[in-house]
Amino acid sequence: MLEEGRKILTVGDYLTLVNDSLALIPSESIVVVGEIVDHRVSQSKWINFDLKDEEKDAKISCFATVFKVKTPLEDGMRVQVVGYPKVYERFGKFSLNVEAVEPVGEGALAKAYALLKKKLEAEGLFAQDRKREIPRFPSRIGLITSSEAAAYGDFLRILNNRWGGVEVVHVPVHVQGQYAVGEILGAFEQLNALQERPEVIVLTRGGGSLEDLHAFNDEAVARAVFQSDVPVVVGVGHERDESLCDFVADVRASTPSNAAEIVVPDRREILRDVELSAQRMEDVLTMELERRERAVERAVSALGQFIELRMQDVRLTIERLSHAFDRFRLSLVATRQHIERNQEVISHAFLSVFERLKQGTASLIRLFESFDVQRVLERGYSIVRSGGSSVRDASKLATGQSLQIQLARGSVTSEVTDIES
Amino acid sequence: MPPAKKQPTFAQAFSELEELTQWFENEDVDLDEGLKKFERGLELADVCKKKLAEVENKVKTLKKKFED
Repeated sequence: MLEEGRKILTVGDYLTLVNDSLALIPSESIVVVGEIVDHRVSQSKWINFDLKDEEKDAKISCFATVFKVKTPLEDGMRVQVVGYPKVYERFGKFSLNVEAVEPVGEGALAKAYALLKKKLEAEGLFAQDRKREIPRFPSRIGLITSSEAAAYGDFLRILNNRWGGVEVVHVPVHVQGQYAVGEILGAFEQLNALQERPEVIVLTRGGGSLEDLHAFNDEAVARAVFQSDVPVVVGVGHERDESLCDFVADVRASTPSNAAEIVVPDRREILRDVELSAQRMEDVLTMELERRERAVERAVSALGQFIELRMQDVRLTIERLSHAFDRFRLSLVATRQHIERNQEVISHAFLSVFERLKQGTASLIRLFESFDVQRVLERGYSIVRSGGSSVRDASKLATGQSLQIQLARGSVTSEVTDIES
Repeated sequence: MPPAKKQPTFAQAFSELEELTQWFENEDVDLDEGLKKFERGLELADVCKKKLAEVENKVKTLKKKFED
């Protein structure tokens, strides 16, 4: 039996014992030197970071409050720390309760990172104008990440949620550790050399410390991203993580899930878009048809009105005409009856007038004739005739020739005795 | 797996559909041409919808070259 000859303690009691033992360390007189990694402040109060050994693979997690530690801290800083070691019962986690921090220059890794970043930037690897567009609807996507990592699952899950019919060509690689750089370089080479090349390559991993991200900050990897013929989307860790590959990437994603959101559209949005497009075309056509229909209707109704007006005109004219004709016909009939009635009277009257005129005229003629000669004879003139014709020239007469002389009343016969011309 | 001949890819169908929609927004719509384009648009929308109905993404894992 285990408890034989041993003291039985609860977990809490045991941790109290451990912490009591830790308290025996003369913390007051010890300074721990290391590099800050994974520094974060939560709720503007609690400071957490890891203090990393600069040579050995060793680290201590540290805890402080902003009230006690006022020095601004950041990853990569080389610091000296004074604090008390403690195991937090609740989490069973060992950490250094920091009393004081003092920076002792930039951390070696962070410094190297900053220098390389500057160099690549100067070379134009981060230049905005060299960034290539990724196709809107890729059918083949290259994926470089570890099969075991959460990043792999996150990426595929979001990809499947959003879009379908894509072939994902996955090249499994270590994303940290000694093989990572070589494998990632090989993956870029392999994907670019494929017969059926992907249209976009996604290089992704979850978040991590600067140390964990070393492969993504490696110069050769950054250059491989730059040189890839296929555009590259890089998504590393959480929002706040950055790597040199992020800056070189054609498109930078904040997380593996975000990388999936960037490389494929959401099928729901696209479906809506497709439906809207069809609907919009139909609407435009319908509107156009209706517009024309209205125009035709207007034209037809205008034409109808025009015709109606003209018809009325014509009807009125015809009516007027037929009335006029009726009147004309009636008057014609009346005239004829009138003429028929009066024909005899008229012809009779006409004949008697004519007769009277005829008689009048003849007597007038006679009257005029007689009146004219008689008047001359009355004044004492005579008409001398010889052989029926009147005599005007004495030289035409001969002695002894008989002459008939007409007087106003009666006539005499004489003989030429003497001629004087 | 290359798409069957004559069947446009989603990207082709979608971009043609976008062009058609654009045409309807910009042009003084000629009815005859509009009807033709509308018919084509419906065809394309159908192609797009069918492609959108594909749920599966295939994952093909490449062997690491440097392990060979």
